[in-house]
Amino acid sequence: MSTLAQPSLSRSSHIDASNRGLSATGILRSEWIKLRSLRSTWWSFGIIVAIQVGLAVLIALTAVKPTGQLPADAATDAAISTISAGLLFGQLVIAVLGVLVISGEYSTGQIRSSFMAVPSRLPVLAAKAVVFAIATFVVGFASIVVSYLVTMPILAEAGVQANPGDPALWVRLAGAAGYLVLIGLVSFGIGAALRSTPGGIAASLGLLLVVPTVFQLISASWATTLVEWLPSSVGSGLFYWGGTFEPWQALLVMLGWVAVFIATAAVLMKRRDA
Amino acid sequence: MIEAQSLTKRYGQRTAVDAASFTVRPGKVTGLLGPNGAGKSTTMRMIVGLDRPTSGSVRVNGHFYAEHSAPLHEVGALLDAKAIHSGRSAYNHLLALGATHGIGAARVREVIDLTGLQAVAGKRVGGFSLGMGQRLGIAAALLGDPQTLILDEPINGLDPEGVLWVRGLLKHLAAEGRTILLSSHLMSEMAMTADHIIVFGRGRVIADAPVADIVGQGAVTSVRVSSPQAAELARLLAAPDVQITSASGSTLDVAGVSAATIGGVAASNGLVLHELTTVTGSLEEAYLRLTADEVEYHTQSVTPEVVR
Repeated sequence: MSTLAQPSLSRSSHIDASNRGLSATGILRSEWIKLRSLRSTWWSFGIIVAIQVGLAVLIALTAVKPTGQLPADAATDAAISTISAGLLFGQLVIAVLGVLVISGEYSTGQIRSSFMAVPSRLPVLAAKAVVFAIATFVVGFASIVVSYLVTMPILAEAGVQANPGDPALWVRLAGAAGYLVLIGLVSFGIGAALRSTPGGIAASLGLLLVVPTVFQLISASWATTLVEWLPSSVGSGLFYWGGTFEPWQALLVMLGWVAVFIATAAVLMKRRDA
Repeated sequence: MIEAQSLTKRYGQRTAVDAASFTVRPGKVTGLLGPNGAGKSTTMRMIVGLDRPTSGSVRVNGHFYAEHSAPLHEVGALLDAKAIHSGRSAYNHLLALGATHGIGAARVREVIDLTGLQAVAGKRVGGFSLGMGQRLGIAAALLGDPQTLILDEPINGLDPEGVLWVRGLLKHLAAEGRTILLSSHLMSEMAMTADHIIVFGRGRVIADAPVADIVGQGAVTSVRVSSPQAAELARLLAAPDVQITSASGSTLDVAGVSAATIGGVAASNGLVLHELTTVTGSLEEAYLRLTADEVEYHTQSVTPEVVR
């Protein structure tokens, strides 16, 4: 602190004149630096990996032995169900992180620095979403694949053998990682629209946990239909096949949810004073 | 160059900035001076596009801030110390900020050295003192080597060494031909740092002139005389254009006549003088006179009876 350089250093030779200005890759790199330089990111991803793998092993070890060899489809279903418990927890963690990556900027005032660097604002929102989605997919898919590989021999011992050469298995494992990403993005959109950490977390966990429970208590057919369209149930169609929605339909509905919240956030972000 | 035209910002019923028009020119330090709530910070936020003006406009180097393809190279701003994520290290904050413009680690280390943050660059910003936060804010403002610098209360929380450093840095940057705008509610600080002053009161520009003019405009030069024969001296000095007020029994404040004349009058009449001082109005007095009617939060003077 006591050694202050001479002001004459302010003219810099370290700014490349040919590379002056905002760029999409620059903003993406900035958001990646922001994401990896916060402890909350590492905690959240660490918890997701630990819970995902840990619960999968626990479920595989306690699985009831089927009577006789299962057909291949049923074996794949069994393999998927070992990872689904981890997803139930993982979705809560990713929802909180999704809110935090944007609401943390508002609560600390960082957003003003971000908007001064990128005054058109929306590229910040887009780059943040892209970087968060990619990181979540990589961590989610890795932890799900590890869960599958670790539980495979345990399940095989119990007579459940999902064929690792089956492309559908891998699509469903990727779908499970995609579920985490899309739930994270819904929460991100909520956090960006509300600009508050407690409000954003309450709203997104409410949407995931409370809203489905409330509507399940209403014994009307419209309530049942509504529950099927909520992110937590429609999203599970990405890895549990054969439900109300085809996998591609489930993906479209989930993308719709993401679009609604992020578009709302974008309109508000452009309009409001920072 | 910053040009504001009828810049206005309303929050509901309250008008924070009221049709402010001014120009901040390159090559000198311009001070934005005014009491708390006068609209200084709001004006600065509108310059860098964080707040949208209700009406009017402000341009930097001929364009709206958001129109610049490299805003950090045009304008560096320190708006308030709390514009940084507290969970991130100073180094990573600057690295992420610079990355948007393709500014790399070499320049980040350069501004860290320049602002004396080497020892704490790897620490999380949440643990920073106010002074370190200000230095980091200044580092961020300098990151893009900008032509224009906007600093809201830059010496807030700095130690005396830091204050001297900021003053020197700003003068140096202005001498390089850059445009410098800084705000303060400390008139003494402005007198030492700024070349030109824009005085805000309740959102309006109430003065816009070189420092010397602001001081001269509001200044009343008077002479303080102390003499055991004060009453006799007052009688001799009395004239239609001379105002004499008595500070105490033996001390007079005389306006409208020079110290030399008073000394001459005293000598030729054989009067003893204990003190003969020319008192020049300070920037502080000029400022208080200018803003007397414009202060939003008046304090009540505390009388001794109330204090007890």
